[in-house]
Amino acid sequence: MADVASLAAAAQGQEHWDRLAARSARERRMRRGFLYVFLILASLPVMVPYFWLGTLAFSAHLSGVDTRVLWPSIFILVPSVLLTWLWAIAARTPRQALIGWAVIWVVAIAIFAVVVGPSLHLGNFRFLYNPNFNAENENIVAAEDNPGFSATSFPWVWTAFANSLIIAGGATLIVIIVASLAGYYISRFQYRFRTTSLAAMLILHAFPATVLLIPIFILMWQLGLLNTLFAIVLVIVGIELPFAVFIMKGFFDAVPWEIEMSALTDGATRRQAFFKVVLPQVVNGMIAVSVFVFIRGWEEFVFVLVLSTQQAKWTMSLYTFFVVEENSLGVDYGLVSAVAVFYILPSFVLYTLAQKYLLQMTVSGVKG
Amino acid sequence: MERRRRINMVLFLGPAVLIVGLFFVLPVLVDIAISFTDLGRDLRVTEITTDNYERALGFGDVRPDRQLPGVIARTVIYVGCTLLIFNTTFGLLLALATTSLPSGSGAFFRAVWLLPRMSPSVVYGILWIWSVHGGDTSLVNQIMMGVFGYEKPIDLRQLYPMVVIIIANGFIGASFAMIILTSAIRGIPEHLYHAARCDGAGSFALIRHITLPQLRWPLTYILIWQTLSLMVSFEYILLITGGGPFRATTVYAIFIFQRAFSASGQYAYGAALTFFLILPGIVLALFLWRVSNMRKLMQQPRIEVH
Repeated sequence: MADVASLAAAAQGQEHWDRLAARSARERRMRRGFLYVFLILASLPVMVPYFWLGTLAFSAHLSGVDTRVLWPSIFILVPSVLLTWLWAIAARTPRQALIGWAVIWVVAIAIFAVVVGPSLHLGNFRFLYNPNFNAENENIVAAEDNPGFSATSFPWVWTAFANSLIIAGGATLIVIIVASLAGYYISRFQYRFRTTSLAAMLILHAFPATVLLIPIFILMWQLGLLNTLFAIVLVIVGIELPFAVFIMKGFFDAVPWEIEMSALTDGATRRQAFFKVVLPQVVNGMIAVSVFVFIRGWEEFVFVLVLSTQQAKWTMSLYTFFVVEENSLGVDYGLVSAVAVFYILPSFVLYTLAQKYLLQMTVSGVKG
Repeated sequence: MERRRRINMVLFLGPAVLIVGLFFVLPVLVDIAISFTDLGRDLRVTEITTDNYERALGFGDVRPDRQLPGVIARTVIYVGCTLLIFNTTFGLLLALATTSLPSGSGAFFRAVWLLPRMSPSVVYGILWIWSVHGGDTSLVNQIMMGVFGYEKPIDLRQLYPMVVIIIANGFIGASFAMIILTSAIRGIPEHLYHAARCDGAGSFALIRHITLPQLRWPLTYILIWQTLSLMVSFEYILLITGGGPFRATTVYAIFIFQRAFSASGQYAYGAALTFFLILPGIVLALFLWRVSNMRKLMQQPRIEVH
């Protein structure tokens, strides 16, 4: 008798627990669903314009903007992504999941090829191999319905590309050398203003350099460096150095003292120990800082605008800026998009490749 | 030994000190010097004067710059709204939301929000112009006219220029807080959450009593840093609205830029105006130093050989 009663109680208890577990699982699903809806809705204003830029670069024609490709692409892409996601939840075995995804995406790509495919072309990227693309634009546009339209002559895009590369690369090289030296010294040596010098780096990084646009312009003019790439390299080095020193110091802190000590015991001087033993330990930090400075140099706009006026010294930012200026009235959206995509690509690739290094950086005790 | 110590110091620290001196200390001094001259378009100094400060603030019978009060008010609105809505609150929301999702999905949304930060400013500017311009082909108007049945296109840059630049800068600022706070949240020990759960805390109580108190220092840091960068940032405003329409988005930094570089070439006056920006810059940066614990970041060297 007693057994039956306790069994019943146990069953009831079990049922109670099951109900609780089910409720908590339901709540968790709801919370997660809510978070997804929030994030998707909040991210749409960021995602759609970039997606549009991408579609325009591969589809737009001269004279006129079109979103004929944007909306169909979205109508194909969004259900496919949703289905993929649902199938990931529904599928029972990995094999099933793979087959389902393959079916979904083959169908999606087929629909895409039929609906959007015919509008896609690479013509907007003609600026890459045709230095005179803008003069040709002029003829076409003027012939259509803008008789007063006259095109500026742009330098070839590869000149701007090379300039940007020199600026970003040069600044990266200088920053990484100087920051490694200073970071090591602040991290490893005792001297009088040690804490102050680290604090100074933090303060200088917080202190915004764009404030100093006017004095830097005057300085560069005095030094006779206006209209040189070197001036811009110097400015970017100056802006990014405090941050780089700070980050490199953090990486040096993490190198164990023991390996340096054993190098010294084996007869190395401090400088040799630095170059041969410690420096190889902070390669990750050097990569992170390099990527950071490179992207910064690659996108610099204001200082280039102020410090250089000659077309031969244009960087990708100025090139893009003037292509936009010229075509902002809807003359050639496709060209602008293609230039923008070409300009953005290196930053994206670098960033994606180096993401794991970037996440190792610590900013004043705060990882970032 | 002493000599070797000195040589090492020059060798390791010298280049950094030189560059920092050349690009931060010297320009500040040059700025102050220029602000007391009449340096203009012709880049020639003919007299040493305090005219620029009189012109800005108004002394005696010189009236203060008529545009300054409006410019300062707009700067306060712009910095305040961007900072409070996007750079802190929204960034915090993004960090909290993405860290409670499975790591893959979280990383995806963080990557999306990093897009504006990674893209060169010129490209980001075009995207905004294409999204909000007044023609019926802009993204906003396509949605407004196609989905909500508006009959005429609207021009957000004319109607709500301030809102446009606040959101445009906010989308970039939010990712800064998102990244720093994400790492900070990941660094909070898991056992605190388990203990609170045992004491019966719900999701909101966890955020309120465990997560937020741990984020105090990173949030202070973000707040100060972003105030500084917003005060002087004008790149995106210049690209998207150009300070217009009718000066509606002319904040302090862009005001200086226009005075010095756009049309008038009044470098000396610009330098004087810059001086007013350098002061709060230094004060805020020093405050950042106060609230950060620098000592904690320094470990005693364990090798004394040079």
